[in-house]
Amino acid sequence: MENYDKSLKKIFTKRLQAVQKLPKIDGSKSIIDILEEKGISRRDFMKWASYMTAYLGLSSSFVPTVAKAAEVADRLPIIWLHMAECTGCSESLLRSDAPTIDSLIFDYISLEYHETIMAASGWQAEQNLEGAIEKYKGKYILMVEGGIPTKLDGHFLTLGAFAKTGQDVAKEAADGAAAIFAIGTCSSFGGIQAAAPNPTGAVPLSEITSKPVINVPGCPPSEKNIVGTLLHYILYGTLPALDAYNRPKWAYENRIHDLCERRGHFDAGEFVQSFGDEGAKKGYCLYKVGCKGPYTFNNCSKERFNQHTSWPIQAGHGCIGCSEPQFWDKMGPFEEPMADHLFHGPFGGLGADATVDKIGISLLTITAIGIGAHAAISAVKPPKE
Amino acid sequence: MKIKHFVEKVEGETELEFDFKNGIVNNVNIVFPFYRGIEEILRDRDALDALVITPRVCGICNHAHLLASARAIENGLQNAGVNINLTPKAISLREFTLYCEIIQSHFKWFYLIAMPQLANLNKLEISDNHILKASWANINTVKALAIFAGQWPHSSYIVPGGVTCDPTYEEIIQAEALIDDIIKFTQNEFLGLSIDEYYKTKEISSIKGDMGIILSMLKNQNMQEKGKSYDRFLTLGEHSAFTTGIYNQSLYSDANITYVKEHVQSGSKAKSVSYDNQFCEVGPLARAMLRKNNFILDIHNKYQDSALTRVCARMDELINLLIYTKDLLANLNVKELSCTLSKLPKDLEANGTGIVEAARGSLIHQSTIKSGKIQNYSIITPTQWNLSNGLEQSYGIATKAMRGSINTQEANFIFRTFDVCSVCTTH
Ligand code: SF4
Ligand code: SF4
Repeated sequence: MENYDKSLKKIFTKRLQAVQKLPKIDGSKSIIDILEEKGISRRDFMKWASYMTAYLGLSSSFVPTVAKAAEVADRLPIIWLHMAECTGCSESLLRSDAPTIDSLIFDYISLEYHETIMAASGWQAEQNLEGAIEKYKGKYILMVEGGIPTKLDGHFLTLGAFAKTGQDVAKEAADGAAAIFAIGTCSSFGGIQAAAPNPTGAVPLSEITSKPVINVPGCPPSEKNIVGTLLHYILYGTLPALDAYNRPKWAYENRIHDLCERRGHFDAGEFVQSFGDEGAKKGYCLYKVGCKGPYTFNNCSKERFNQHTSWPIQAGHGCIGCSEPQFWDKMGPFEEPMADHLFHGPFGGLGADATVDKIGISLLTITAIGIGAHAAISAVKPPKE
Repeated sequence: MKIKHFVEKVEGETELEFDFKNGIVNNVNIVFPFYRGIEEILRDRDALDALVITPRVCGICNHAHLLASARAIENGLQNAGVNINLTPKAISLREFTLYCEIIQSHFKWFYLIAMPQLANLNKLEISDNHILKASWANINTVKALAIFAGQWPHSSYIVPGGVTCDPTYEEIIQAEALIDDIIKFTQNEFLGLSIDEYYKTKEISSIKGDMGIILSMLKNQNMQEKGKSYDRFLTLGEHSAFTTGIYNQSLYSDANITYVKEHVQSGSKAKSVSYDNQFCEVGPLARAMLRKNNFILDIHNKYQDSALTRVCARMDELINLLIYTKDLLANLNVKELSCTLSKLPKDLEANGTGIVEAARGSLIHQSTIKSGKIQNYSIITPTQWNLSNGLEQSYGIATKAMRGSINTQEANFIFRTFDVCSVCTTH
């Protein structure tokens, strides 16, 4: 382990030195200056860095390295694009950690196309975008929120004064990017608007560019997964280890079910049978009221939302599987165990094959049956008093 | 002379096409160049799918959508003869989380929209710490919300028959502490007055703090004379903090959902909406007028439905809700049931309407469910009310308010006093 850490540290140091040599976006101030201006002390910053270090699964000896990575982030400008979306992902990021170190660093290095926080508007904004793509060609990190509508030649979404289609804007921005992140389920997999019958032909970002896209799904993804992906890229300079759906493994390798606080109740066969019942009061497992935690890969059970305040399962509602491909089609119906409905798509029981053809449902069938069987068997077993 | 102007930073993108006559704005066409087809997606799905899909119409008022979709199902069940008895606890929690969403949205409007835009109009330099203040107020308000709802945006804790959470006393105390912090922030930074002083003052000129700056910038721009529309207001959503009804030039009457109509608008991807064939303003000013809130009635008396009155109503609503959320928490009886409805019948037949007051005004969900499947779902969002374009000879609410502006910058600000949200409008 120690040797591994050592060689990793070497890689990081080399990478950070290279990044540091790049010109800063704004020559006058460093990220530390900016943070200090906003009343954030070095100590707060180091606290944040140690949190992020643990979050990225690195040992505590990496804290200074991670801090350094955040400090040199101002060499890697970000372009953030809004496509077909609800802006929930931006909202999630804006509600990041107090005193908003994540969002401050983000703000500072974003190249003014994040409409939600930018001051310029209209013509100005588009010029910024085109100017930025030109000026930082090959260097910037592209973050895209939202799916990309393709029907009607992409005219379900047009941007700016010249009514460019979202598709064209995203393609162009992807061409010049050093790294591409799809933020949220919409951009990673198409999201809600790509649900059947997908009226606007919304597709994931990865379908309109031939370059590799790192998916950071979730509807919305937690702020820490967004910031963590960025820091990871700064540290490694390469793509992180990805799962089959191009999700960074460090965040998406476990199932919600694996680390769920109600897992003990699942194992003991103690289930909520309907919302508001005695089991619900006692915090029993939510599988039977539709929890999709066993089929969902994400770190919500560890990280929670809104500064670790809570998460859906803590609030008594099952996981809805929002970071999986084909969310929502694959995860419906609501409030019912997945295993009961393996072969029901939203098309009223067309049967497994027809549904698979139509919307490409790809379930973890074996696990699903296993989980379902467990729940069924446990139902006969009297729950512990 | 026609000028195209893009308003961004409205959670999506909106296009304003100005038509000038004799140097002043004569007409404005509002276009939303964006469409996702959420209502089409809802068709043929299970009734409950609306609870997952509709909040994703909008990352800004997602919670209002969640509540509206649950209310639509509950109303449908009631129409079909099923008794729905929400416990006071479930009602209060729903109200609490909804008001938190409204409060955070208003803070955002003041700090991220009003502050910079007014400073621009007044050619004033302001420091950018308003962004930090907005984010502080936001983070803490949605944290209080998330204690019960699990997360924001896109919580799923409201279900037909109640809510899923079972808060402990400790959690309630945690939420109270957060609200207390926000109240402190409101007194020290936002108002520069204690809440008591605020309620005693009858003069907006005695308000200090950031709000004082905003008010003086508004006065500098003569906003008490500008931005007037039809002086016709509508509130449709039933809540303990609001009163439903319609106000039409000094006349109050009951509102009836059957008068609400949607119309397709050429060139835009959003539909317009009218009440009894007339446009009505919805949102904080409408709610204050229907609630007969004395402070706002006084301001309205002096300045009618001007931009200044609209902004004051948003401020006053923020304060009132903040104080009221504390009452809701204090009176919560944790022993009551959270949810009183178990599974929906598989072959549910129901027609229902769910109406909720969102930050920007009345939000309506209407659903027709046949054999458990959604046959038709229609969503009318607050921004559609305020931003409809003209019908035949009449101008829309925001268009009427912008007429007479001397330049696009001023018109744009007046437009923003309605707190525009485009993702919602173009669902
Ligand atoms: S992934 Fe979810 S939260 Fe993010 S933009 Fe899409 S619908 Fe909104
Ligand atoms: S089924 Fe859901 S609630 Fe139950 S243990 Fe798994 S993730 Fe947790």
